[in-house]
Amino acid sequence: MLNRLKDIVRKTSINVCIINCGGCNGCDVELVACLSPRYDLEQYGIYLQNNPRDADILLLTGAVTEQWEDKLRRIYAKTPEPKVVLAVGNCPQSGDVFAQEGGRVNAPASNYIPVDAAVSGCPPRPSEIISAVLKVAPGAMVAKSQANREIKDDD
Amino acid sequence: MIVPIGPVHPGLKEPLRLKLETQGEQVLKAEIDYGYVHRGIEKIMEGKTWQKCIYLSERICGICSYEHTQSFAEVLELMAGEVVPPRAQFLRVIVNELDRIQSHYLANSTYFKSLDHEMLFMKVLELREYAMDSLELISGNRVNMGWNVVGGVRMDADDGHFKQILDNLKFIEDNHQRIVDLFSEGPVIGLRSKGVGLMTREEALKGRAVGPIGRASGLKHDCREFHHTYKDYFDFKPIWRKEGDNYARTMNRFDEIPQSIDLIRQAIENIPEGDIRKPIEIKTGYYDWRNEAPRGEVRYMCETNGNLIKNISIRTPSITNIDSCAKYMLPGVPTIADAIATYASSDPCIACAERVQITDKALKTVEIKDMY
Amino acid sequence: MSSIIWYVYEFARKAWITRFADAKSQKEIIDKPPRFRDFPIVIAENCIGCGSCTASCPSPTAIKLVRDKTTEEAEGLTYPVINESGCIRCGFCAEVCPSDPKTLECGENHFIKEEFSIIPSKRRYIVDDYLCIKCKACIKACPVDAIKEENGRIVVDQLKCITCGDCVDSCKVKGAMKGVFIDNLEDQKKLINLIVSTLEKYIESKQEELEKLERESILQLKLPLSSIWDEALKIIPDTEIAHEIIENAVDRLKVRIITWNKDKCKKCQMCVPECPIGAISFDEEKDTIVRDNDKCCRCSICYQTCPFGVIKYFISKFVLDVDDDGEEYMFITVKPSHLDYDFIKGEHNES
Repeated sequence: MLNRLKDIVRKTSINVCIINCGGCNGCDVELVACLSPRYDLEQYGIYLQNNPRDADILLLTGAVTEQWEDKLRRIYAKTPEPKVVLAVGNCPQSGDVFAQEGGRVNAPASNYIPVDAAVSGCPPRPSEIISAVLKVAPGAMVAKSQANREIKDDD
Repeated sequence: MIVPIGPVHPGLKEPLRLKLETQGEQVLKAEIDYGYVHRGIEKIMEGKTWQKCIYLSERICGICSYEHTQSFAEVLELMAGEVVPPRAQFLRVIVNELDRIQSHYLANSTYFKSLDHEMLFMKVLELREYAMDSLELISGNRVNMGWNVVGGVRMDADDGHFKQILDNLKFIEDNHQRIVDLFSEGPVIGLRSKGVGLMTREEALKGRAVGPIGRASGLKHDCREFHHTYKDYFDFKPIWRKEGDNYARTMNRFDEIPQSIDLIRQAIENIPEGDIRKPIEIKTGYYDWRNEAPRGEVRYMCETNGNLIKNISIRTPSITNIDSCAKYMLPGVPTIADAIATYASSDPCIACAERVQITDKALKTVEIKDMY
Repeated sequence: MSSIIWYVYEFARKAWITRFADAKSQKEIIDKPPRFRDFPIVIAENCIGCGSCTASCPSPTAIKLVRDKTTEEAEGLTYPVINESGCIRCGFCAEVCPSDPKTLECGENHFIKEEFSIIPSKRRYIVDDYLCIKCKACIKACPVDAIKEENGRIVVDQLKCITCGDCVDSCKVKGAMKGVFIDNLEDQKKLINLIVSTLEKYIESKQEELEKLERESILQLKLPLSSIWDEALKIIPDTEIAHEIIENAVDRLKVRIITWNKDKCKKCQMCVPECPIGAISFDEEKDTIVRDNDKCCRCSICYQTCPFGVIKYFISKFVLDVDDDGEEYMFITVKPSHLDYDFIKGEHNES
């Protein structure tokens, strides 16, 4: 009973933290545009918190640069369970145009932390980001919390 | 006490580490660590043709992405001794000014967010969406437009597009003054902005502040004054202020928006007919070219070898602005909350800033180094 | 209180219900504007497999050409595949696609005419009119009809050319169709200068053998490629490009050699005013004739003027080939000039 209530609450109140691990800022400004009155992310119960300790979802943007290799793992460890990682844009998936000779990036981000879902585009439109977040986030949150519970029960 | 802020922090939009040395709440000294976004763009560009490089230069900074492609195209065009057709020049001015409008709105909305004034943050972002609409309408994408090429622009615009852009601009202009009044006449926000983060003209000169940040401190420097298109066809005078505090910086950005709207109107009224693109052969040689990005002067120093880019060095405005923010604005700020606001008011864009040029004055040598 | 009255009034007008029923989210949230460049659409049947989309793509992982397996019924299709996690939606591939109708469609970009070649290329393909036999094999081989005949000459339209290199493979004469490197013209000049100066020095060092050479005979020498290879790589680090440039240059090279036998010279100074560029001068202090080797343009006028046979004139040709032991050599053939026979009909003093 309590667990079901928790799941319902989790579905409707999601805190998001943006981590720019070395991108061009394009995806970040599109994420800010999602907050604007036109797209209004908050009407779906998603709040931009930008604090990893509060967050349920980590939005990764940017190809992983040298400085971020260990810090990314630390931030992931600080985020409370259940957590979902969503890669926004091409950079965390393939490194985009920076994954060439001379570039100092270590894409993809899934080498460092588990990435649950990804949105393609350089950068994706705010509508694409919102639809992807809404498609993935609530379901993934509930599934993860249930999985965690089962592990606990087994113990 | 030393207060570390970042790289991921609720008050920061981008990864950067601020170290504030404080006494009580007052900031005595500020130190900045860069290097979280260094991707090595200049190194990737070496030995590539311009077709591959122009999209890399677009991805130096996602906010002022348009100005980077224009500067990159212009440095190669002017190296070949050619100027693009007049219609292409006018179209470039239109997109450039639209880009400036959205960038200034974004910078100001970040400032309001850092002051925790949610309402102005939302209002400003709402207006920004209309500029983004116009950009998407004319170039086909919202942020990284991919619209400029060496020799002109890729797609033409017709009267229907211009009409829609003018409608969007009308909406922005109608609502702009109301929002500016909310900021400039509202007592709470005004009190928290006026007199905070002071930078005098001499300090701005020492810190080499450029763009709206320098202009708010009394440095009357705008590269659009020297640009051939603006000089030949447009009526343009830079806007500047004397105060040099957070209020002046924000207001300077607000004041430049009606000016940009006016420039777009002039461009749409007088746009000539003709080609939008012409073939340009890349010459061997060296050229450097300065241009006014939304954040200030951006300089491209480029050496080519026939078809290829041999060496390129890009000086972006953010590095000097962030530096002068750390050196002159942040010390003396009364509270840590204001420190974040002061930092946001200097319009930092870390993605731009991750490159540096070292000039040794004693030995009179210029060493271009990619330090971070 | 006033708002409640307003709501009651609105209910009474029934406008509220109609508005509630018609309520939609703003259309611009969902709709993409007409000019928006989405990921490119691939129409596989139109593809000619030229590869210009992959050459022009600025993103390293975005696009690749794949080929279906050839079955008994039909040949396998070749077509590009877009990797959405790498594509930056610039639309260059749709702009450069030369097939008609286009294989790739992207926003409004596939409407752009291919007036300006924006395919980045290291080579430019040109026809050597001197060697071309006009067999027109290249016209048939070109997938985009960029080669055509104009006023009896075969010309490559650079704006249409997608630099696939098929024309070079189909060309029956070696060297008639050339893919010239355009990236490093300055470096190429340096490299060719290096080759010429090395070969000239080498031949001039064999002056004694040249003196003995009879009129109708030839002198054959060889110089290993390794003698200049290290220096060549310093100028152009890419071994493949450097080798191709050396091969092209050596095969076409024709160097004129002038030897100067000082013992025979009688200091008559006849050659000094004859030299068209003033490369020969008389040094009064040392009482000798001085020839400036760097200035000399090898026009052979001094050779035709000299009555004592001081000056000898040779023509050398070269070929780069592999020796029996597998090492590459520059084979040199030197023969004396026939100018004296052709023009002066043997009247020339041969002492």
